Amino acid sequence: MKFLDIDEFKSLCSKIRKSKEDKSNDLCIIVSSGTCGQAKRSLAVIDALQESLKKHNLDKKVDLRITGCHGFCQVEPIVIINPENIFYQNVKPEDTGEIVSEAIINKKVIDRLLYVDPKTGKKIKYEKDIPFYQKQVRTLLANNVLIDPTKIGDYIGIKGYAALCEVLKTMKAEEVIYEVKKSGLRGRGGAGFPTGLKWEFCRKAKGDVKYIVCNADEGDPGAYMNRSLLEGNPHSVLEGMLIGAYAIGSSEGFIYVRHEYPLAVKNVKIAITQMEEYGLLGKGILGTEFDFDIEVIMGAGAFVCGEETALIASIEGKKGEPRQRPPFPAQKGIWKKPTNINNVETWANIPLIINKGAEWFSEIGTEGSKGTKIFSLVGKINNTGLVEVPMGITLREMVYDIGGGIPNGKKFKAVQTGGPSGGCVPEELLDTSVDYESLKALGSIMGSGGMVVMDEDTCMVDTAKYFLEFLQEESCGKCLTCREGIERLLEILTGITEGTGKEEDIELLKELGELVKDTSMCGLGQTAPNPLLSTIRYFKDEYEQHIKYKNCPAAVCKEIISSPCQHTCPIDTEVPVYISLIARGRFKEAFDIIWKDNPLPSVCARVCHHPCEFKCQLGKFGDPISIRGLKRFVTDYALKEGFKPSCKTEKTKKEKVAVIGSGPAGLTASYYLARKGYSVTVFESLSVLGGALAAYIPGYRLPRDILNADIKNIRNTGVEIKTNVTVGKDILFDELRDKYDAIFIATGAHKSLKLGIPNENTAGVLHAMDFLKDINLGKEVKIGKRVGVIGGGNAAVDAARVAARIKGCEKVFIIYRRTINEMPAIKEEVDAAIEEKIEMQLLTAPTKILTKDGKITGIECVKMRLGEMDESGRKRPIPIKGSEFVVEVDSLIVVAIGEQPDVSFLDGNKFEISKHNTIVVNHETFVTNVPGVFAGGDVVKGPNTVIEAMSSGKIAAEMIDKYLQGKPVVREYKVTRPSMYIEPVELTEEEVMEAERPAMPCLSVSERVNNFNEVELGFTEQAAIREARRCVRCDLETGDGKKQFKEEVENVKNKT
Amino acid sequence: MLKIKLNRLEVQVEEGWTILEAAEFYGIEIPTLCHHDGLSDYGACRLCIVEIGEGKDAKFVSSCTYPVEEGLVVRTHSKKVINYRKLIIELMLARCHTSKTIQDLASKYNVTSVRFKLKSDDCILCGLCTRMCEEQMDARAIGFVNRGKERKITTPFDIKSDVCRTCGACMYICPTCQLRCQGPEPSGAVCGGCLNIEYPCLDVYDDVHCYLDPCAACLLEESRKKKSTSNTEEKNVFNKD
Repeated sequence: MKFLDIDEFKSLCSKIRKSKEDKSNDLCIIVSSGTCGQAKRSLAVIDALQESLKKHNLDKKVDLRITGCHGFCQVEPIVIINPENIFYQNVKPEDTGEIVSEAIINKKVIDRLLYVDPKTGKKIKYEKDIPFYQKQVRTLLANNVLIDPTKIGDYIGIKGYAALCEVLKTMKAEEVIYEVKKSGLRGRGGAGFPTGLKWEFCRKAKGDVKYIVCNADEGDPGAYMNRSLLEGNPHSVLEGMLIGAYAIGSSEGFIYVRHEYPLAVKNVKIAITQMEEYGLLGKGILGTEFDFDIEVIMGAGAFVCGEETALIASIEGKKGEPRQRPPFPAQKGIWKKPTNINNVETWANIPLIINKGAEWFSEIGTEGSKGTKIFSLVGKINNTGLVEVPMGITLREMVYDIGGGIPNGKKFKAVQTGGPSGGCVPEELLDTSVDYESLKALGSIMGSGGMVVMDEDTCMVDTAKYFLEFLQEESCGKCLTCREGIERLLEILTGITEGTGKEEDIELLKELGELVKDTSMCGLGQTAPNPLLSTIRYFKDEYEQHIKYKNCPAAVCKEIISSPCQHTCPIDTEVPVYISLIARGRFKEAFDIIWKDNPLPSVCARVCHHPCEFKCQLGKFGDPISIRGLKRFVTDYALKEGFKPSCKTEKTKKEKVAVIGSGPAGLTASYYLARKGYSVTVFESLSVLGGALAAYIPGYRLPRDILNADIKNIRNTGVEIKTNVTVGKDILFDELRDKYDAIFIATGAHKSLKLGIPNENTAGVLHAMDFLKDINLGKEVKIGKRVGVIGGGNAAVDAARVAARIKGCEKVFIIYRRTINEMPAIKEEVDAAIEEKIEMQLLTAPTKILTKDGKITGIECVKMRLGEMDESGRKRPIPIKGSEFVVEVDSLIVVAIGEQPDVSFLDGNKFEISKHNTIVVNHETFVTNVPGVFAGGDVVKGPNTVIEAMSSGKIAAEMIDKYLQGKPVVREYKVTRPSMYIEPVELTEEEVMEAERPAMPCLSVSERVNNFNEVELGFTEQAAIREARRCVRCDLETGDGKKQFKEEVENVKNKT
Repeated sequence: MLKIKLNRLEVQVEEGWTILEAAEFYGIEIPTLCHHDGLSDYGACRLCIVEIGEGKDAKFVSSCTYPVEEGLVVRTHSKKVINYRKLIIELMLARCHTSKTIQDLASKYNVTSVRFKLKSDDCILCGLCTRMCEEQMDARAIGFVNRGKERKITTPFDIKSDVCRTCGACMYICPTCQLRCQGPEPSGAVCGGCLNIEYPCLDVYDDVHCYLDPCAACLLEESRKKKSTSNTEEKNVFNKD
């Protein structure tokens, strides 16, 4: 039924549209089945639906529409039930029976298949209410839901080919070009050249034979916008090409589609066949003088063929190599004839512009970038998928509002736009508008629309290396700067990721990067250095960390980190070694390995916040190894069996060192200094040893006898400890300077900050640190029945859990101004607090303390909501006006919002003190500005963790040793390596299937009431060995690790 | 005739000329490697880059392939161009430091160190040989094969060619295999300079030994003289007397 008359065709289109309108209230099941849906078994869902419908004799009554991608790939396959428009997500073949029986027949809504908004927890019925879709403007992609791409009738039904008819009937070629120019449409392939202008050049070029091309090569890793348009709505692209061909004066077109898109190729070919049937292609289209034929040509796997001159060469059957422009393809393209090449998305916009008008189009977007753009939002993001947004939306809106933020509570790091030719944009610049000029100004590009989100576990140096590796593979190799330049950039960068980088490397990378960018012949080379240059620009410190400090903060670069756990540990504990020893039952050796680097292991096994576990590789797709639990097992076993650390020490040196403070920093420093042979004297102002460990950390977390067992081992090295001696009072600081050859100040940070709210000094208001200290030192503390605790850090949670244990206390509240996800306290502590029935008053801030007769009656609070991000990277809490309410508490509130050091004892000495009252030191060597005096721990960093304090003590000891021996006081940095490699264990298949992280056995809540018994009980031997066997041994993946292990296997083989 | 601005001089050029041809006509020397007057222009080595356009529209193009156009503004010796040329030569040295042609370029443009690992490759992939074989010898026996790092020049499928007449034109035109550098440090990154101004060989001979293209001996002889104070080995670079 070839149509040879425009009006005849138009009247058919009207009929089809009318009949679709009439059917709009009919039952229809829509199933998304693009390549993304098919990867999640949408084809099986479709088969099951068809079977189910047949079973109920509904296959003729209910329309089953199979469409392309709906955009929300995270929750594919999507099934929408019309006419009600109910949106079901993550549908499995097993769900189809219920869909037919409940949703179709009984007209009920199936709750469990609805989308749940993670912020509110509410279920959502309609697509328009889902946050992912709300800020999108889906002028192109929305049509994917409305049509079956293999049915031309469906396309006609949504006004398809109306634009073509309009153009052929009423518009001259020049008028079409004028309309496209007026719209402001710019090429969507990446360069953003004004489309109307490009068409005009081609039209004006000399010659009768002209070609148009649709560039569907889409080579950027992670980009699939074009694929979804071709799979889901091929006619929109084809109609655009027809209109373009008419405007330019071309009668032959090509669709150059990459080989790896079979479904797109299939659907495009079906569409072309249907167009030919209707007379929309071929000679004399719809009775006019306009001829047009389209050929589909598949690529052969080369990314460079996305570049237009390489693409032309490929179509001509030659090697896909770019050539210099001018002459531009508009003058001399395929077979030297004028050729116009546009991207899939550009073509798809054309029918819209004709139908709705250039003015409509130019009202969307910004001044310089009109219309919408489709992006593939992928990477470390909650809502992965294809998003269509108006130009001018900010990156922040895309990442947080549409993308739903970063999964697993990780912190955002960068977003990469434009694929391997683009650049990385850091957090500070997230408010940048998404348009051609703004992105270019940042050192990135719009590109074809790839948007990869990265979090704190992504290494930016490794990312630059990844993209350079890709581009080196894909470079055609013709021009020297691209070929050799990229190779050398990669060489230098690889050295940096392996720990052999040099200071000069960054400048050389920049110099060479600029060369490749400016002098390469084609777009591939010209944009290849973008990821590298943008990461150097915004993440320079990360490069410096790799080069100078041999540190990969994201714990990714294998040759530097060996295993992420050991690398991340501030005291460099050889985690994989002791875990693999536990796996083999060699507990004494495991104990020795731990003691080598950690003189307070039983303590850490209970209170460390385990940064190692956050970087454990297993944690990326499952549960991390319970490293702290395993350490606990070893130290408990050692205590039981009476293992002693093997370290005999003698005073071999004459120098004497004074350590002020017996907290974790001071104890660690003393231990290592004593082992080096120095006489060490520790001055402790309290009567108990351990600093914060003894004074503040509650006994149910760290029993006093466990702490003392570790301290005893430290004392056995000969460290002298004087208690009840306060420097500045019982002995002056200057006296110490006279008597000792070096001093290490580790006095911590214990002065509580005032909250600054009225009535803070009322009777019954206690400060957290004082409260905890009094409890720990055995003093009697009176608190009332209802206790409020203000704050969200460890001190607050400790105070709350302690208060809950005191006889007479019936209810404890924690009042925190943000949500539970933002509480800085260790997650296990927060979970335990909730277990122990402590009530969390979240998004609440105190405004006034209410008193009566001089005693507390309650706290006036106001509800908060989360607004924009602040400098700490968290959303700023904003009070909700008029939401004030009172939390009734009697007698006591324990206030805990932060502590500062007390450095008054240093008065008279010329120390540099910061505005937070911390001692200023060289952050690498811990030297103060006073010769011979070092400082570390919280007195330098402010309130921080136990392990960080121990780390400063360990490093300071090394620096003090250098100082006393007259050596230069500088740090030497090396890549992380374990001191030995233990043969890995082999797991049975069963073990692999059943492997999971064990829960730490704890006292039941009822057993914890009114006592301070240790809550965590520790693993059994069996559980510990099982968990240790789960470790995937990242230490064996470095070159050294592989070699070592191969050697050992050889040795074993040779012995047998 | 067209008018272009060549290094701030307004000059007249023929339509159809490349920037390189225009510069040569006006006596401005632009270094090249993969360009040859008898062969088509390929634009692969990037050594002939010049800066065109002004302000933020300025960009770098290979002058051997860019046709002149009315009003074109060209800078052949801008600061950036000079620096880029040096870096390009440095990249070439890193790949083929045994090539005399490249060493000559290095000494002429004052490239004295190579900051990259030396590869000691035999081929700079300039394509002169393939174009020679195709355009002048009409044989088409060799061509480029593979992509990126794996790119090389060979016969189809590495099979012995039936159309190759072993004429040797490819070897003749090749900048890396024609003359192995005989200089004093052939294994080093930078050989020490083939261009000089004085002729110490005249101390020994009656005629200059290197005619139009001075040879390495001279400058080296000078520096050798400076270095040796009490050396018994007083032989000059020519190892005579």
